[in-house]
Amino acid sequence: MSENPKNGQVDKTVYRGLCFIGIAADTNSVRVECSDGKILRIRPLQYNEKYPELQPWKIEARGKSFSPSMLSAIPPLTLGYKNRLYSPNRVLYPLKRVDWDPNGERNPQNRGNSKYQRISWDEALDIVVSEITRIKEKYGMEAILSQSDGHAETKTVHAAHGCHRRLLRMLGGFTLQTRNTDSWEGWYWGAKHVWGCENLGQMVPVSNVAWDISTNSDAVLFWGCDPETTPWGFNGQMASRLSYWWTELGIKQVYIAPDCNYGNAVHADKWIPVLPNTDAALYLGVAHTWMVEGTYDKEYVKTHSVGFDKFEEYVLGKTDGVAKTARWAAEITGVPSYTIKALARYWAKKRVSVAIGNGGPGVRGPYSTEPARLQACLLAMQGVGKPGRHQMKMIEWGLYNKKTNNPFPPPKYVPLALAANRGWAYTDTPPQFIPKDMIHDAILKPPISWYGTTLSRDSVDQQFIKYTYPREGGTPIHMIWTDSPSWITCWNDTNAFVKALQDPQIDFVLAQHPWMENDCQMADLVLPSNTMLEVDDMGVESQSAAFSLVFHEPRAVEARGESMSDYEIVCAIAERFGVLDTYTQGKSVDDWIKTGWEHSGCANEITYEELKDKGYYVVPQDPDWKENKAGMLAFCEDPEKNPLSTPSGKIEFYSERLATHFPDDKERPPVPGWIGNGESHQECIGGERSKLYPLLVISNHPRWRVHSQHDDMTWLREIHTCKVMGPDGYQYEPLWIHPTDAAKRGIVDGDVVKIYNERGAVLAGAWVTERIRPGAIYIDHGARWDPIVAGELDRGGAINTITPHNITSKNVAGMVCSGFLAEVEAADLQAIRKQYPEAFKRPYKADAGLRLERVLEGGE
Amino acid sequence: MGKVMVIDITKCNGCHNCQIACKDEHCGNDWSPIAKPQPLTGQFWHKVEDKVRGQVPKVKVAYEHYLCQQCDDAPCLKACQSKAIYKRPDGAVIVDPDKCRGNHTCVKACPYGNVIFYNEDLRIAQKCTFCAHLLDQGWTQTRCSEVCPTGAITFGEEKDLADFIARAEPLRPDLNVKPRVYYIGLPKTFIGATIYDPAADEVVEGAAVTLKRVGAGAAVTATTDEFGDFLVDGLEKGVYGVAIEKAGYAPLIMAAVNVDKDLNLGDLAMTPERR
Repeated sequence: MSENPKNGQVDKTVYRGLCFIGIAADTNSVRVECSDGKILRIRPLQYNEKYPELQPWKIEARGKSFSPSMLSAIPPLTLGYKNRLYSPNRVLYPLKRVDWDPNGERNPQNRGNSKYQRISWDEALDIVVSEITRIKEKYGMEAILSQSDGHAETKTVHAAHGCHRRLLRMLGGFTLQTRNTDSWEGWYWGAKHVWGCENLGQMVPVSNVAWDISTNSDAVLFWGCDPETTPWGFNGQMASRLSYWWTELGIKQVYIAPDCNYGNAVHADKWIPVLPNTDAALYLGVAHTWMVEGTYDKEYVKTHSVGFDKFEEYVLGKTDGVAKTARWAAEITGVPSYTIKALARYWAKKRVSVAIGNGGPGVRGPYSTEPARLQACLLAMQGVGKPGRHQMKMIEWGLYNKKTNNPFPPPKYVPLALAANRGWAYTDTPPQFIPKDMIHDAILKPPISWYGTTLSRDSVDQQFIKYTYPREGGTPIHMIWTDSPSWITCWNDTNAFVKALQDPQIDFVLAQHPWMENDCQMADLVLPSNTMLEVDDMGVESQSAAFSLVFHEPRAVEARGESMSDYEIVCAIAERFGVLDTYTQGKSVDDWIKTGWEHSGCANEITYEELKDKGYYVVPQDPDWKENKAGMLAFCEDPEKNPLSTPSGKIEFYSERLATHFPDDKERPPVPGWIGNGESHQECIGGERSKLYPLLVISNHPRWRVHSQHDDMTWLREIHTCKVMGPDGYQYEPLWIHPTDAAKRGIVDGDVVKIYNERGAVLAGAWVTERIRPGAIYIDHGARWDPIVAGELDRGGAINTITPHNITSKNVAGMVCSGFLAEVEAADLQAIRKQYPEAFKRPYKADAGLRLERVLEGGE
Repeated sequence: MGKVMVIDITKCNGCHNCQIACKDEHCGNDWSPIAKPQPLTGQFWHKVEDKVRGQVPKVKVAYEHYLCQQCDDAPCLKACQSKAIYKRPDGAVIVDPDKCRGNHTCVKACPYGNVIFYNEDLRIAQKCTFCAHLLDQGWTQTRCSEVCPTGAITFGEEKDLADFIARAEPLRPDLNVKPRVYYIGLPKTFIGATIYDPAADEVVEGAAVTLKRVGAGAAVTATTDEFGDFLVDGLEKGVYGVAIEKAGYAPLIMAAVNVDKDLNLGDLAMTPERR
C-alpha cells in the first residue's frame, strides 16, 4: 500500500482508461491523482472537466430522458485498483523454477509443485535467447507455441498480450494458439446459421436499439444475462443505469436463469429459475405453445424466413414422436408448465425484447449452439426487427470499432488506438495454429483435427474447413511462450491442461506477467511485467457508450521493482537477437504514442501538444444518430432489398448449409433442438453420470473479477459475496447452494465444501442462499488456482479445473465451462490438511490471498 | 443547516463503489487533523451489506448502508472522556485523532453499533468524517457520493436537499439523535405467491388478493398478473390474513400467516368451484 503522501497535495494528475479488455479499446476512464510519487486516489473522470461546453447524448421516451453521466460510471474493479498495483503477489524480478535446468534435468513433471529462485535479468534473457536458438535449430520455430490473446489490462504500446508475436515472426515463425470465441460460442457456432449476423451471430445491427426498446417494448427478457457483472470490466456501469431507467419507464424486466444474479437481485420484476443449460427445452416449450395456439407472426415468418415447416414438424413431434409441449419442457427445465405457457402468451401478446450478456450455459455450456439458435428462431417468430422486438446485448458496445455494434447514440467516429498497438492483431495467424480449447489434446493426444480457425472475426465459411495439428509437414510444439497465463482459471477441463504442461515433450514454458498467479505456477521462467499505472501510453475510450475519448497517458507511478512492460521485455529479447531496430521500427515509445494520436481519428481536431496538455480529447457525437434504423428494421421492412448473410438471405429455421456439410451431425442438426445427453457430453440430469453427480453447476463471469483478474484485491475480498472465510483463516471462493440441497448434504452456511466429479475436485466456501434454485449450484469462474495436488485438487476455487473436456459438439470447436454435473460434500479439512501438509503450510494472508513468497525457495 | 447525505436504497445496485472509494481515500493516506490512516482491512467507514429477501423464485436483494450518521445530538460526543469528539459547523462529527486517548467510550456509546471502529495500532477511534478534509479543500461531494454510478447517494446542503429529506427517513427513528444521514426505501417486508389452476395447468390471472394485518390497520389489495403472480412489498411485520379470490374459483383463505420475514407463499393451487 502507498505510504502517506506529502501533505496530500495532488502534484500530478493522469487521465486514462483503467480497464481490463486488453485490446486497445478502453473504457472505465479515470482521473488518477498522484502525490509525491504515489497514487493518492483514483476517481471517475469528469468528461467536461477540460471541455466545459460538452453535452451528453440524450434519449427521450415516454416523457422521460436518459443521458450518460458526466462522471464516468466506473466499477469497483477500477476504483480499487491500487490494490492490484501493490499486490503482495507481484513478481518484481525474474524467477526461475529451481528444478528446471536448461542444460540438464528439466523435471517437467514437477511443474505446478516446484519453488522458484530469483535470477538477474541478464541470466533470464540469456536463458530465453539460448532456448529459442536451441529450439529453432533442433525443431524449427514452429515448435514454439504463442499464447498471447484474451483479456488483460488495456494497454496499447505496452500491450499485455502478443508483443512477442512480431519478434517470433521475425525470427522465423511460431505456432499460434487461436482464441476460441469464448463467451460467444452459442451465437458464433449456432445463431449464425439462423440469421447470419456476422461476425458473432448476435443480432446486428444494434443501432438505436436502446432508444427503440425504451420507446416501444413492454418487457425485456434477461436471458442468462447479468447487466450487473460482466459489463463492469468492459463497459462500466451504464447497463445498470439503463436498467433503472427502464424500471422508471414501466418496462417489465424478466430474468431467466438458474441463479438470482446481481441484475435480477435489484432490477427484476419476475424471475424464472430454469435448470442450468436446459434453456433449449424452454424455448421449444414456448414455440410449441405459439404453434398450437397460432400466436406467432405468421406473415413475417412467411416473408422473412425459410424452413419453418421443418422446424414446426420437429416442435410438434412429427419427426421424432416427441411433441415439445410446455409439459415436456417442464420436466426438463424445472419450470412449471403453467409458467411456460404464461411466458409464451405474454411474449406473443406484448412487445418483447431479449437482453443477452455473454453469460450462462446457454452460451458457454454443452451444445450451446442449440439455445442460441432457438433464441434467434423465437425472436423471428415474433417479428424481430419490428418496433420493440430486438435482441440487445448489455455489453461490448461498439465492438470491433463498429458503430453498428453500439445500441446507444454513437460518436461521429470511433477513436482508434490500433496504430500504436504493439500487441497482437486480428490478422497475424501463422500457418500452424491450435484452438485454445484444444491445447490439452494437442499436447497429450496428437494429431488432432477440428473445423474452423475459431477466430471471432472470421466469417461462417471458416466453419466448414477442416484443420489438423500438426499441420501437414508441421512441427509439434516443444516450447510455450505465454503472456496470458490463465488457462487453468478460464478454460475447459483445465486439470488436463495442467497434465499437458507437465508433459516431457514441453522443454520450456516461458511466462511474462505482473503477478505470480495461475499458469505462472507451471512456468520454468517468469519475467516480471508491469501494470498500466506504471507505463507511458496512449489509449481510447470507445466502448462505454457514454463518450468517446482519446488519451495521452503518462505513467502514474514508476515501475515497481525490476518489472518492465511486456513491450519492453520483448524489446530486451529482440536486442539480444540483434534485431531491436527492426522490431521497434526505429521508434521510441514516445514515437509510438504520437503515431497512435496521428491515426486515432482526432489528429485534425486537436494537436498533439494540446492532447498532451489536456490529457484527453472527447470525440463529438454523431449529429445524425436519429436517422439510423433501429436494429433489424431495414430487413424487417424489405428482406429482399436488405438480405441477411445467410445463404437464403432470410432467417433459416432449417439450415440447408449445415445439412449439406454435416449430414450426420446429431449434435448440431439442420433444425435446432434439444440435445440432452449426446456423444460429446453427458452433462444432463437423467443420464448415468447424474446418479453420481446430481447437481448442475452454473459458472458465469465473476462479479468481483474480470475472468482471472482482480482476485487479490483486498478491498473486494472484504465484500460478503466475494469470498467466504473458512475456519482455517483461508478465504474460499463462494459456492451458492440452495438450503434444501445444503440440508440434504449436511452443509451449513460458511462450511468449506468439496465440489467434485471424475475430472477432479475444488474446495469452496458454502453460501447457503435463496439466490440459487434447488438442483443447481453456482460458482464464479476465475478464482486463483492454489493447487493442493496440481491437476487433481484445488483450494483456490478454480472451478474450470473440473469443467467438461470436450468441445461444444463434434463439429463445433467451442469450449464448455458451465452447465455441467458435479456433487458437493462438506470437506473434511483436517483430513485433507493431514494428507497434504505442505500445501497448507504455504505462506498465506487472507487480505490478498496468495503471496509471492509461497513459491520462493526459502520462502522469503 | 449544514451537510446531509440521503441514500436511496431502491437505487443501490450493490456495486460497493462507496465502500471501496472510502478505502481508496483513507487507507494509507493521512488526513490529519481530520483523520489518521484507516487500516488496510477491517474498518468500514461506509459499509454495504447485502440482505437477501424472500424465497425462490420471489427473491430480491436490498443493500443496506452503514456509516456514521453524523448526529446533531451525538451520543459519542457526549460520552468521550477526552473531549476528542467535536461537531463542525457543517455538521460533520469528527474524532480528533490527536486528542483521542483510545478509551472506547464512543464505540460503546454509539447506538448504531457498527460505525465507529477502534484502531489497535494507533489506539484511536476512527469513523466516517463526511470527507471533511475534502470539503475543506473545496470539494462539494464525499468520495462515496461522487463514485455512486446510479445516483443512490446524494450529498449536499440540507437546504438544497429538502425534497429528498421529505421522502426520506432516519435509519433508526426510535433513537432521536438527529442524524444527518437519511434513507429512502429502507426495506420493509413482502408477501408474494403464484396462483395457478392445476386441472387446467394454467396460471390464474386477475385474482384479487387481500392482505389484512391481524389487529391493525387497513387491508392492502393486489391483483395477480399475467404470470399469476402477486407481490406486495412495504408491509410491517406481523400476522396477516390472506384472501385470494376470483369468480368461478373457490376462494383461498389463510387466516393467520406469520409474516416475520419476506415471504414467498409458493405456488398456490386454486380450484374451480363446482356448479
